[in-house]
Amino acid sequence: MSDIVIQASELHKTYDETAVPVHALRGVNLQIKQGEFTAIVGPSGSGKSTLLNIIGGLDRPSSGNIQVGGTDISTLNDNQLIDFRKDNIGFVFQSYNLIPVLTAKENVEFVMMLQGSSTEERDRRTKELMDAVGLGDRMHNRPSELSGGQQQRVAVARALAPKPTFILADEPTANLDSTSTANLLDIMARLNKEENITFVFSTHDQRVIDRARRVVVLEDGLIASDTAS
Amino acid sequence: MKWIGLAWKNIWRNRIRSIVVIGAIAIGIWAILFISGFTRGMVQNYINDSISTQISHIQIHHPKFGDDKELKFNIAEAHDLRQELLSMDGVKSATTRTISNGMISSSKGARGVNIIGIDPAEESQVTAMKDKMIEGDYLNVDKKNPIIISRRIAERLGLKIRSKVILTFQNVAQDITAGAFRVVGIYDTGNAQYDELQIYVKKEDLQRLIGVDEPIVHEMALLVNDFNAVDQVRDQIKSAHPNLLIENYKELSPDLELFNTQIKLNIVILTVIIMLALIFGIINTMLMAVLERKKELGMLMAIGMNKWKVFRLIVMETLFLSFVGGPLGLLIAFLSLQGFAQTGIDLSNWSGGLSQFGLNPIIYPDLHTGSFVFVMFSVMVTAFLASIYPARKAVKLKPVDALRAL
Ligand SMILES: Nc1ncnc2c1ncn2[C@@H]1O[C@H](COP(=O)(O)OP(=O)(O)O)[C@@H](O)[C@H]1O
Ligand SMILES: [Mg+2]
Repeated sequence: MSDIVIQASELHKTYDETAVPVHALRGVNLQIKQGEFTAIVGPSGSGKSTLLNIIGGLDRPSSGNIQVGGTDISTLNDNQLIDFRKDNIGFVFQSYNLIPVLTAKENVEFVMMLQGSSTEERDRRTKELMDAVGLGDRMHNRPSELSGGQQQRVAVARALAPKPTFILADEPTANLDSTSTANLLDIMARLNKEENITFVFSTHDQRVIDRARRVVVLEDGLIASDTAS
Repeated sequence: MKWIGLAWKNIWRNRIRSIVVIGAIAIGIWAILFISGFTRGMVQNYINDSISTQISHIQIHHPKFGDDKELKFNIAEAHDLRQELLSMDGVKSATTRTISNGMISSSKGARGVNIIGIDPAEESQVTAMKDKMIEGDYLNVDKKNPIIISRRIAERLGLKIRSKVILTFQNVAQDITAGAFRVVGIYDTGNAQYDELQIYVKKEDLQRLIGVDEPIVHEMALLVNDFNAVDQVRDQIKSAHPNLLIENYKELSPDLELFNTQIKLNIVILTVIIMLALIFGIINTMLMAVLERKKELGMLMAIGMNKWKVFRLIVMETLFLSFVGGPLGLLIAFLSLQGFAQTGIDLSNWSGGLSQFGLNPIIYPDLHTGSFVFVMFSVMVTAFLASIYPARKAVKLKPVDALRAL
C-alpha cells in the first residue's frame, strides 16, 4: 500500500462564469504523503482555497488529474463524491460551521452517524476526541455556548471522528486570536505526531506557517516554492 | 431516530416564523372542520325536520298512485299490512292516510291542496305535526269535520280558528263533491312549499265524503327504530310486498340527497382552497428556512450528508410543521364543535330566510370522525407537496460555497 495520500498533477482551474476568466490554478503538481503536516501559503487570491476545494472533492479541476488515497476522484459523480468525502476527508472550515442546534458531542458524532456507527462506538470516540481537544467537559454545550477557539477545536474533533484519510483545513485560524491559534495548532501538531494524522491547511499567518513541517507557497495559481523542515 | 430530532430542533430555530405557519395550519384546519361540522349539522337538521314533519323514514304507495293521485290506486288490506309492519323488528310506528287532491275555499278565495285524511292517534306516532301547531288543537277533538291548515293558507284565505271552509274533490263515482269543515288548528312547519299544499282532516270524514264504506288507504308512512337501518327495513318490506311501491326518505325526497352531495362537494372545495393557501404559506416559510441556512446545508453536504438525506431532512421539517399545526387545529375544532353540539348555534336572527327552506333556527354542529381524518390526511399531503420545492432547492446547493463563504 502506497503512503501517498494526495496526488495532484497539472491542475488547472479557470473560473469562466465571470466577465474576464480567472485562472486560479495554472498547473499545480502536488504530492502529499501519509503523516505530513503541510501548510499551503500565499497571499489572498493566490488560489489556496481553490486548490483545497479540488483536493477535497468539493470542486472539479478544469483539467489535470487528482487522486486521493488511490482513487481518481474525477470519475465520481456528485453523490459518490459526497460518500467519498464522508469516509475519507475531514474538513475544518474557517468559520467553524458547527450545527448550531446540536451539542458539541452531537456535532462530533454527526458524520459517524451518517456512517451508521453504533451508539457505543460513537460515545467512546466522541469522548476520546473531545478529551484530545481539551473539551471533555464541554460535551453537552451548544456551539453558541463555546468560544471561537473552542468551537474550532470541536470542528477538529468532528473532522477526526470518522477516521478520515486526511484533514483539510482552509484558514482554520483566520478567525481566532493568538492564544486560541497557538492552542489549536498545539492540538493539531500533537494529533499529527502521536496519531500520525495527515493535515493539509492553508494560511497566511506567519505564526501558523512557522509550525508547519512542510510549506507549499502558491503564487498566482502556481507553486512558487515547496520546502520541508 | 437522531435525524428526526435534528429536524425537530431545526423548526424551532426561528420560533416566530414556525409558530406563524403552525398557527395558519391550525386555523385553516379549524375553519374547514367547523364549517363542515356546522353545515353537516344544518343538513342533518333539515333532514330530521323533513323526516319528522313530512316524509318519515319509509312510505308505501300503490305503484301508480304517484302519477295523478287517483282514488282507485289505493293499498289493499292496509289494516292488515299495518299490523304486519308493526310486528316487524325494525319498525317503530306506522300510520295510514287517505289522500285526495282538491280545493279549499273560503269567502276570500280558493286554493288547490292535498287533502290528507289521517287518524290522529296513529299519525302522532309517526309525524311530529302536533309540535308544529301554532294555534288551536290537533285533530283529536270531538267536533264534526275538523280541519287543520297551515298559517300560510290561513293568511291567504283569511281564516282563523273556527272559520268555516269548503273542501271540493272527486268522489268514487268521479263526481265532484264538497264538504264543509271547521278550522280547529293552524300549523307552521317552516317549510313554505310544504305548508302551501297540505291540509289535514280526519280519515273517516274524508272517506265518508268520498263515498266509500271500507277504509281506503293511499299512503302508509313509517318510522324505523334505527335511522341507519332504513334501507334494510325497506328492502325487507319490498321483498314481502313486491306489488307495492316502498320508498325510503331519500327516494321520497331526492333533494335531500342532492343537498347532502352538494354540501360534501362544497367541503371538498373549501378544503382544496384552504390547502392551496397553506401550500404557499408553507413553501414560503420553508424556502426562507432553507435559504438562510444555505451555508450550513452546503457544509452538511461537504462533510458527507448525501442529497437524499438532506432532502429528507427538509421534508421532515416541513411535515413537523403540519404535525404540530394539524392536531392543534383538530383539537380547537373538536372543542368548539363539541361546545356548540351541546348548546346549538342559534340562528333565529337570520332564521326568517332559513325557515323558507324548512330549517330549524338552532343548528347543532355535527362531529364527524371521517372529516377529521380527511382533513388531517389533506394537511399531511399538503405539507409533503409544499416541502418538495424547498427540499429540491436545498439539494441543489453547492457545498463549495460553504467553504468559500466568509
Ligand atoms: N467562484 C469563483 N468565481 C470566480 N472567481 C473565483 C471564484 N472563486 C475564486 N475565484 C478567484 O480565483 C482566485 C483564487 O481564489 P482563492 O482560491 O479563493 O484564493 P485564496 O484562497 O488564496 O485567497 C481569486 O482571484 C479569486 O477571485
Ligand atoms: Mg481562501
